[in-house]
Amino acid sequence: MVKRWRQQVKRWMAETLELPADIMMDLPRITMIGQIHIYIENHRGLLAFSDKELRLLLRNGQLIVRGEQFVIKTILPEEILLEGKINQVTYIDK
Amino acid sequence: MKNEWVDTLAGSVRVKVRGKGIERLINACVRQGMAVWNVKKHSADTVTFFIRLSDVKQLRHIARKSGCKLSFVGRTGLPFFWRRVWRNSGFWLGLLVFLAGVFLLSNVVWNIDIEGATPETEHQIIRELKRMGVERGAFQFLLDDPETLQKKLTERIRDITWVGVEWKGTSLHFQVVEKEIPEPKQPLPPRHLVAKKEAVVVDLFVEEGQPLVSVNDYVQKGQLLVSGIIGAEGRTKFVPANGKVFGETWYKSTVVLPLETTFHVLTGKAMARHYIGIGRLSIPVWGWEKPPFSHMVVEREKRPFRFWKWDLPFYYERVIIREAEAVKRSYTWEEAFAEARRIARRELRAKLPEEAAIRGEKVLHQEKENGKVRVELHYEVIENIAVPQPIVQGD
Repeated sequence: MVKRWRQQVKRWMAETLELPADIMMDLPRITMIGQIHIYIENHRGLLAFSDKELRLLLRNGQLIVRGEQFVIKTILPEEILLEGKINQVTYIDK
Repeated sequence: MKNEWVDTLAGSVRVKVRGKGIERLINACVRQGMAVWNVKKHSADTVTFFIRLSDVKQLRHIARKSGCKLSFVGRTGLPFFWRRVWRNSGFWLGLLVFLAGVFLLSNVVWNIDIEGATPETEHQIIRELKRMGVERGAFQFLLDDPETLQKKLTERIRDITWVGVEWKGTSLHFQVVEKEIPEPKQPLPPRHLVAKKEAVVVDLFVEEGQPLVSVNDYVQKGQLLVSGIIGAEGRTKFVPANGKVFGETWYKSTVVLPLETTFHVLTGKAMARHYIGIGRLSIPVWGWEKPPFSHMVVEREKRPFRFWKWDLPFYYERVIIREAEAVKRSYTWEEAFAEARRIARRELRAKLPEEAAIRGEKVLHQEKENGKVRVELHYEVIENIAVPQPIVQGD
C-alpha cells in the first residue's frame, strides 16, 4: 500500500517537476541505434545470454532482447552494450 | 566506459568459459569491478570474453566458486608483445647493432668549424689539421686533446695569434684570432711623457708636446721629459704628448754556469701501446713487446669513449715510450765564460723591447768556483725611455 503510494508520488513529481523518469523511478534507459546496437542502463544483472537472446533483470521484471549474432561489447554493473541484429525488445512484468 | 588504449597497453586475455551458470559468473565479475567485453556465446555451455590481464587472478577466484571451467585462448597487448620480442634473437641482434652504431658514431668527428679566420688562413688550418689526422670521420679518441691541438696550431701557423679549440658534442670548434687585425685608433687623452728609468738622453723625437730635456741630459726615473701642456703663459693647452726619447740605460746581470751538465735527449725512437681501461683497470689491446731502451720517457694519454653526448666510464689510453739518451756536456773555462756571456746577452735581449739596442758590454767580474763559472756583466743599452703619464685635469 505504502509502496504503491510512494510510486504514485514519484510519478507525479516526474511529470510535474519535469525530472527524468529513469532517475526518479529507477527505470531502465534504453538507447537503440537502428537494429545494430542496444544500450541499456540501470539493469540489475545478466540472467541469460546466447547469440539469439539476452535476458536482463530489472528492478521490477525482466527485459528480453531477441535477435541474431549477439555480442556483448561491454558489460558494467548497471550498463550493457549489445551488438548484433536486434529484432524485438520485450518487457516482462514481475 | 573502457578505454581501448589502456587495455592494449596493460594487456588483455581472451577467456573461454565452459559450464553452467556462466551468466552468474559474468555478473559476479562485473560486480567486482572487472572490465568484461566482447562476450560471445559459441554453444549452449561455452562463452568467450575478454578481460584485462590484471584481472585474471580475480577471475580464477570467482570461477572456482562458480564451478565453471576456464581456459585462456588468446593474449593481446603490450606485455605479450614484449614477451615475444624478448625471446626474439633478431631483436637482440638489432639492439646490439644499434648500440654499436650509436657508440661508433658518437666517437667520430662529425664536423670541423672554423670561426674568425680569413679563407686563406682557414684553408691553411684545415690542411694543418689534416696532417695531424683531424678531419671529418676521424675517431675522437685517436686525436690529440684540445690543448695540444691549440698549441700545435699556434706553433705551425704564423698568421694566427690565438686559437681556441673546443669540443661541441661531436664537432670540433675552432675560434681563431688573426694577427693583422687593425686596432681601432682612439683619441688619446692629454698626457705627459716621463722617464721609465734613470738614463742619459741620447736622442729626442717629439711629435707633439713641449720637450723639457735635451741630448746628454741625465734624467731620473719619473722625471718629466715631454710636457703635454703647450702654449704661452695664460693660453695653455692640453695635448697628448707623443714621441720617443732614446736614452742610454744600464743593466747588470749575473750568470752562473756549471762546467759539466748531464741531460736526457730523446733519440727519436719510440713505441706505442694501446689500452682500453675501465676505472683503474687497463687492458692492453695492442703492443706487448718490452721496450728495448735503457732510458726512456713515458707519455700517457687518456681519452674517454663517448656515447651519444656523454663520456662513458671506459677510456682509450695510449702510452708512448720514447727512448732517451743521457748526454754529457762539458766546457773548458774559456768556453764556459763565453757561453755565460752569450746566455746573459740572450736573457737581456728577451727582457728588452724590440727597438732597444745593446750598445756596449763590460765584464765587471768573473770567477771560477768549484766546477762553475760566475760572470757579472754590465750593459749599456739604448732604448726608448718615454712612458706616458696622464694629466689629471684640474690640478
